Amino acid sequence: MRIVIIGNGVAGMEAALAVRQREPAWEITLVSEESDHFFSRTALMWVMSGQLSHRCIEPLERDVYERMGFHRVRARAVGLDLEARRVHLAGGLEPLPYDRLLIACGSRPRPGPWPGSDLPGVGHFVTHQDLAWLEEEVHGGPSHGGPPPRPRAHLEATSDESPYRFRPVARAERGGPPTRPAVIGGGLIGIEAAEVLHAAGLRPRFFIREEWFWPMALDHAESRWIAERMREHGVDVDLEHDVEALEGDGRVERVLTSEGEYDADLVVVAIGVVPNTGWLAGAGLELDRRGGLVVDAHLRAQRAGAENGSEDLGVFAAGDCASVRWFHGEHMPEQLWYTARDQGRVAARGLLGDGTATYARGHWYNSAKLFDIEYTTAGLVNMNVEGERNWFFEERGPVRSTTRVVLAGERVVGFNLLGRRWDHTVLLRWIEEHRSLAWVLDHLAEAAFDTEFVPPLVVPQGARERAPTGPAPSALPEPLAPPAV
Amino acid sequence: MDLQGQNGLMTTFREGWRSRKASAWLIALALLAFYTDLYFFDHLTEPAKALGLRSKWFLYSALYSVAMIGGAVYYLRRHGNARYNRYRIATNLGVQLVLAFLLPFVMPLLAGAPEDDYWKYEYFAASIWPLDHYKLHPSILRAVPLVLALTTVALAFLVAPLLGFFFGKRWYCSWVCGCGGLANTFGDPWRHLTATSTASWKFEKVAVHSVMFLAIVSTLLLFVDAFADTGETFHAVIAGGEWWSMKSLYGYVVGALLAGLVGVGFYPLFGPRVWCRNFCPMAALLGLTQKLGRFRIRVKPDMCISCGNCTTYCEMGIDVRSYAQSNESFTRAACVGCGMCAHVCPRGVLKLENAPTLQEDKARQRLPVVNL
Repeated sequence: MRIVIIGNGVAGMEAALAVRQREPAWEITLVSEESDHFFSRTALMWVMSGQLSHRCIEPLERDVYERMGFHRVRARAVGLDLEARRVHLAGGLEPLPYDRLLIACGSRPRPGPWPGSDLPGVGHFVTHQDLAWLEEEVHGGPSHGGPPPRPRAHLEATSDESPYRFRPVARAERGGPPTRPAVIGGGLIGIEAAEVLHAAGLRPRFFIREEWFWPMALDHAESRWIAERMREHGVDVDLEHDVEALEGDGRVERVLTSEGEYDADLVVVAIGVVPNTGWLAGAGLELDRRGGLVVDAHLRAQRAGAENGSEDLGVFAAGDCASVRWFHGEHMPEQLWYTARDQGRVAARGLLGDGTATYARGHWYNSAKLFDIEYTTAGLVNMNVEGERNWFFEERGPVRSTTRVVLAGERVVGFNLLGRRWDHTVLLRWIEEHRSLAWVLDHLAEAAFDTEFVPPLVVPQGARERAPTGPAPSALPEPLAPPAV
Repeated sequence: MDLQGQNGLMTTFREGWRSRKASAWLIALALLAFYTDLYFFDHLTEPAKALGLRSKWFLYSALYSVAMIGGAVYYLRRHGNARYNRYRIATNLGVQLVLAFLLPFVMPLLAGAPEDDYWKYEYFAASIWPLDHYKLHPSILRAVPLVLALTTVALAFLVAPLLGFFFGKRWYCSWVCGCGGLANTFGDPWRHLTATSTASWKFEKVAVHSVMFLAIVSTLLLFVDAFADTGETFHAVIAGGEWWSMKSLYGYVVGALLAGLVGVGFYPLFGPRVWCRNFCPMAALLGLTQKLGRFRIRVKPDMCISCGNCTTYCEMGIDVRSYAQSNESFTRAACVGCGMCAHVCPRGVLKLENAPTLQEDKARQRLPVVNL
């Protein structure tokens, strides 16, 4: 049996390992344009800053491919022939035949829609090649750990539209490192880019279109604290600045926004990612409106327009490029590390021919670190739930933190927590148990996950009795019915 | 105060002296030269006397304290935002200054001992058998005051294993021990250089348990010698074509070569815990009590992003990420409980704790617990 996996990330690697565990003799081929080795994309920011080396962000030792008998192909997949069961590769390479195929090719950065988005000195912060570009711009080369392993090995077998091509470096024209970098886009990659530019001793400008940073996840009060902390660190946070164009002579020199014109000699565009599925345009597979590969509960991709499960294509999808069904019924990709890993495991069962494994989307939860502020979320936050009210408390003592509990009627349906560490498994259990606000506040200590000796969160009586206020702002226009559990 | 900021770590691999560049080699050479002189020559006795210190070892202890204070300032500027780190380093400094420097220096004076007997009262309470091998030699036990002899036995066979059972070996290795204290202050800038490969783990397991075995056996042989009144017959080995007493061989190889030269001299190249991880018999013994005891690192399931900060900044070379990624709360014999993995984790996945009991907690939390 020949298994081909497009993508060498967490979903692809998990699937490959799971298949190998059951089938020692099957031929497993991993195709990656980006990298020779499986690495943690979420850790690129620390390689840029110098906190980690390239080796540090590789979760497995490099001999894993040899030990597990995985073939590697370093090339860009450019097409798929569902009938002949072959993957076409760029660079004149022989097409790869498969019996079962897993597409786990991840995301690509959303390109800037403005004039000048392709100027030298403009780039993203998502791929190995983006990292190599930014290191070159800011530091003149890689840090101690060296460049990404063989970063240019794919150049023979890639194409112009690839997200893994190198961005033009403006360092020579500029005559040195940037002095006035800018980051566009108020989300997680944006704040990471701002943090690493700050760590490099620069004073980045952070253009955010919205009224406050990360409105998808934070409310106004929470976000104000994050912006305040960014400014304390020396980031110029420019809210409600809609970028209109990037300008410059041979390299980027200015950012034009709705609020005025700013000098910028390096621009990181971080306005999100989109499924990296451009190469599947003519393949006849069902894509959602964002470009995600629509999959069923077994993570099987399906022919465009065909009845669900009517045909066994032998094609599966997992990770950032797969569009899975969410709890509210819509198909969307889940761009998270742990869901990619879980999807990789489920897809592996399908690759093994086991039709019983299904992927069920659980409650939403996530965590992050916004500069040095811890963030944990669980359940329905900023989702415009029917009858939503929010209880909010800001702690200002030896520890600074915010606690937001989201209610639907009397029932707790979500948590948004900053400044402290929390065990999301406990929070999710409370949501499943339909706990009330008073009960949750009595038991908060059970969910605490702070390091030792950190004083526990104490909510004073006055704050406990404060009435929850109306719904938090949401990106969802229609109120969402609270899900049945 | 931020709880888990990590600004101080951000540029680690971009600083030459912290990433095995020429400056790191120079620091290593200087440290190796210092230790060679300290153990095998006598240049430091004169300056020690000139400073009013009784021997070069007190001068060494004074320099050690200075290095720890300097390192602690650096450490606290980088990691002092977490209380665990503040309390731990303060305890380390207190132990070094009081138990390892001041008390041994003044005890003979307070006891009014004659100068020849000073050594009997210079009691280093923080160095416990088998780290301090000499303490338990029958000849030493007989010579020192009874209360000190009893303290030696109680510390080694009662206090250390009991605390190890309830709190893990961290109570000693990263709160009290002088080697650990130096490693976590002066040596902290190099903690990310500890090897994390499978090969280094295999070496560690063989090496550290061999030294532990050697320490125990050679101590037992000394007692056999003492009771059989055979001098040091049982306790001798051939090395380099000559008969050596195991006592002096152990002191040479383990004390001077491994703990001093290799242990500290290679800080800037291989990280600050080379000695503790691969050779310290005390760490190996405490590791066994830790395996049976209640200390563990708890993993919050399905939250790890595999970034590798925990594994990189683990000074004992434990691949913490592999446990975090597979949702396994764990107890590793090597873990000294410095807390850095939890501190640097950007997703708050890890937590050091003394569980009520492992099994009880497993049932309560429905978490998988593994012991490897």
